[in-house]
Amino acid sequence: MYRFIISLFLLFVFGNGFAQETEIQNKKIEQDSIIYKTAYGLRLGIDISKPIKAAFEDSYNSGLEIVADYRISKRFFIATELGFEEQTSNEYYSNSSSKGNYIRLGFNYNAYENWLDMNNEIFVGYRYGFSRFEQSLNNFTPNISNTYFPANTTSPNTTANLNAHWSELMVGLKVETLKNIFVGFSVSYKVLMSAKEPDNFKTLFSPGFNRIFESRTGFGFNYTISYTIPFAKK
Amino acid sequence: MRKTIVLLSLIILTFLSCEKDDFCTQNPVTPNLILRFYDDSNRESLKVVDNLYVWAEGKDSLFINASLDSLFIPLNSAATETVYNFSKNNIVNQFTIQYTTENEYISRSCGFKVIFNDVNFASNNTWITDFEPATLTIEKQTEAHVQIYH
Repeated sequence: MYRFIISLFLLFVFGNGFAQETEIQNKKIEQDSIIYKTAYGLRLGIDISKPIKAAFEDSYNSGLEIVADYRISKRFFIATELGFEEQTSNEYYSNSSSKGNYIRLGFNYNAYENWLDMNNEIFVGYRYGFSRFEQSLNNFTPNISNTYFPANTTSPNTTANLNAHWSELMVGLKVETLKNIFVGFSVSYKVLMSAKEPDNFKTLFSPGFNRIFESRTGFGFNYTISYTIPFAKK
Repeated sequence: MRKTIVLLSLIILTFLSCEKDDFCTQNPVTPNLILRFYDDSNRESLKVVDNLYVWAEGKDSLFINASLDSLFIPLNSAATETVYNFSKNNIVNQFTIQYTTENEYISRSCGFKVIFNDVNFASNNTWITDFEPATLTIEKQTEAHVQIYH
């Protein structure tokens, strides 16, 4: 009987057992120590849309653009484009051609959060553009608004040395398709700041800016293939 | 990549199919010559010319059997002289306009306009008795360039 009562007491005895506590204290949660490094360096490329445009569009005679950017921080790139363009403006009453060189200088900001070690970009950018070119008025027919006396077409062949300054806002993307090789696409909205006008005529096209409309704004696009020369990995 | 190619070709097509977007709203760009006909006995009042035929030398008629007190006629921008014949009741009066031309650029869509400078009129005065030039330069078409009395 006593034995039973003692056994019954034992039933109410409880011991606290914390089987894993000590182990947790010993084992610190290890931080994920892998930092994904991406290449920093000079990226060089060319705009392949311009030779294509020159092949298909009659009025666009030739064009070449070299693009370069240099990464200065995780998200910022100093970017530039250098190019040459020749274009004929064939209007109802005049025919003129422009050819010359241009440079655009500015920066890109990469707004894309990459996964792991991916190195793609969706960027916004600003450029200041400057071009030096010559525009020739090949021929023109005065707009006389009648057919009673047909107007003579004259070929003055006057050439003026001109320049233009503009600003651009850009959005685009760059995708690393092979290691260090990027395919990029961007569109830009351009606002002309100043353009030198020829005597008794107008600057109708500026290399790098494209056609100059009455509103003095324009759009541009480019499609680039570029290669990064890696200087460092950070 | 496929998406990019589709996007690229779309954009190239957009650029290739660009149409001329600005239209010339100025009409006319090059001014016509404006003549107004006045009464010779009362030089302040307009006088309609009846049975009027107008043609340039060697050209078709511009006006046939018209009754007008003012005329809008083009000048030949390819020459420095335009000779018009004004016929009233089968009497022909030759009217010669001499000038030098100057091309002035207006805009991409309007092109160049012709301004006529150093304008000089001459008439062989058959039914026209007298004329009075109002200007030496024809560069706009808002008021008469010459007053004709008959």
